[in-house]
Amino acid sequence: MTADHWGFVLAAYGIAAVALGAYWRHLCRREQELTEQRSHIPPGAGHPGPKPASRSPLQ
Amino acid sequence: MRGEQTVSRALGWLAAIGLAGGLVMAFAVAPREITQGNVQRIMYLHVPTVLVAYLAFAVVLVASIAYLWRRDPAADRLAHASAEVGVLFTGLTICAGAIWGKPTWGTWWTWDARLTSVAILFVMYLGYLLLRGMIEERERAARYAAVLGIVAALDIPLVHFSVYWWRTLHQPPSLLKPGPATMSQGILAALLVNIVAFALLYVYFVAKRTAVLRREEEALA
Amino acid sequence: MTYARRAWIVLWKDAVTERRAKATLNALLFFSLLLLFVFQFTLGADRERLVAALPGLLWLSFVLTGLVGLGRAFLVERENDCWDGLLLAPGDKSAIYLGKVAGNLILMLIVEAILLALFAVFFNVDIGRALPALGLILPLGTIGFAAVGTLFAAMTAHVRAREVLFPVLLLPVQVPVLLGAVKATEAALAGEPLGAVGHWLQLLAAADVVYLVAGLLTFDALLEG
Repeated sequence: MTADHWGFVLAAYGIAAVALGAYWRHLCRREQELTEQRSHIPPGAGHPGPKPASRSPLQ
Repeated sequence: MRGEQTVSRALGWLAAIGLAGGLVMAFAVAPREITQGNVQRIMYLHVPTVLVAYLAFAVVLVASIAYLWRRDPAADRLAHASAEVGVLFTGLTICAGAIWGKPTWGTWWTWDARLTSVAILFVMYLGYLLLRGMIEERERAARYAAVLGIVAALDIPLVHFSVYWWRTLHQPPSLLKPGPATMSQGILAALLVNIVAFALLYVYFVAKRTAVLRREEEALA
Repeated sequence: MTYARRAWIVLWKDAVTERRAKATLNALLFFSLLLLFVFQFTLGADRERLVAALPGLLWLSFVLTGLVGLGRAFLVERENDCWDGLLLAPGDKSAIYLGKVAGNLILMLIVEAILLALFAVFFNVDIGRALPALGLILPLGTIGFAAVGTLFAAMTAHVRAREVLFPVLLLPVQVPVLLGAVKATEAALAGEPLGAVGHWLQLLAAADVVYLVAGLLTFDALLEG
């Protein structure tokens, strides 16, 4: 009977789970960051400070 | 905004249920394969990820054409998100393929037609993400990436044929391929469930990624 | 001004600039000659192996030289602030693309022909009987390379780290062309009839058409703003 190599099966699924899980967590975290950032901006008052991603020369 | 979050959450749950079902099918329902043994169960991960990757890059093609035609930022965000998720899934395909290959073929890597094609696919769209990362102006990045997305997608069939001919005309036809000789009902069913599950996961990831991209753009405005 | 005339003007301008400066062609020839030396040093101990690898080495030289040459495709415009001139040209900008591709194609074919002769001399290989076949294979392969290369050169012209990004983007896309060209060259050098590699030649031709059409349709989008 052929060997089953369960270790390999576990490794393949394990790596997939870790990679997909990490990506999912990254997306959730980023979404949360952006929602919080937005809710902290007082309405109509403009930007509270220099945003790291902003490259507009008008800031 | 709330509606969008509800949809996103629903998609997430759908994907989770799908994946759970897929695991059950892969390990409890699908029979033990005769020639390879249980290591063949990696196929229920390897094949769905590659098929969904192709779907992702097809979406990149359509979104890229749509962007060049309409200049709609939503199309650009879709292309970007789909390429990212596509590269992730392609990477997983290669990984699972290598892990499957080691016990069955005795080697982590072999330049067989399928693995080689997928490797080229991976590098092409990784380049796409690299290009996007290196252009700072959003509008120019969108345009250039769209052009690259179209050329890369048009290249896929050419890559397939060339690599396939390159391998099969010099290898004996009895080259072992990871895959059952005949697809029994159980194996086919498990494969289909997993394909659907990973497709749902792709949709969920793309939905979330495009939402993040849109929020980032709004934050810069 | 007709489309063809516009493309011809771009080609003529590049040719004249090139003839006056002679910089690019000379540098590329010198570079490809050095590659030949490098191949001899790294692989030359075993002559059998070197000759067996000849088709691959030939196209490797073409590709590496092409990367250097094409990477500079829009350098003149960039350095001399002529980019805006390109942008302001009236009408269909894809004519510029065609002119550029033609110019790059001719440049590469000249280098390839000379390199082929040098290979034959330095590695003592008889390529006489393969010349007609090679006369078809080299252009078929080079057109594909020039078509995508010119497009990507325009794309990376204004990007950070373009010297790295250009080959990184170009090489994977060129795999079909590379495979087809090497296989066809292998057959030609072995004295096989072209019919034996008909499918490869068809693939090269199909690739050339796909790349040229894609370039013609999308070049416009690269030049805006």
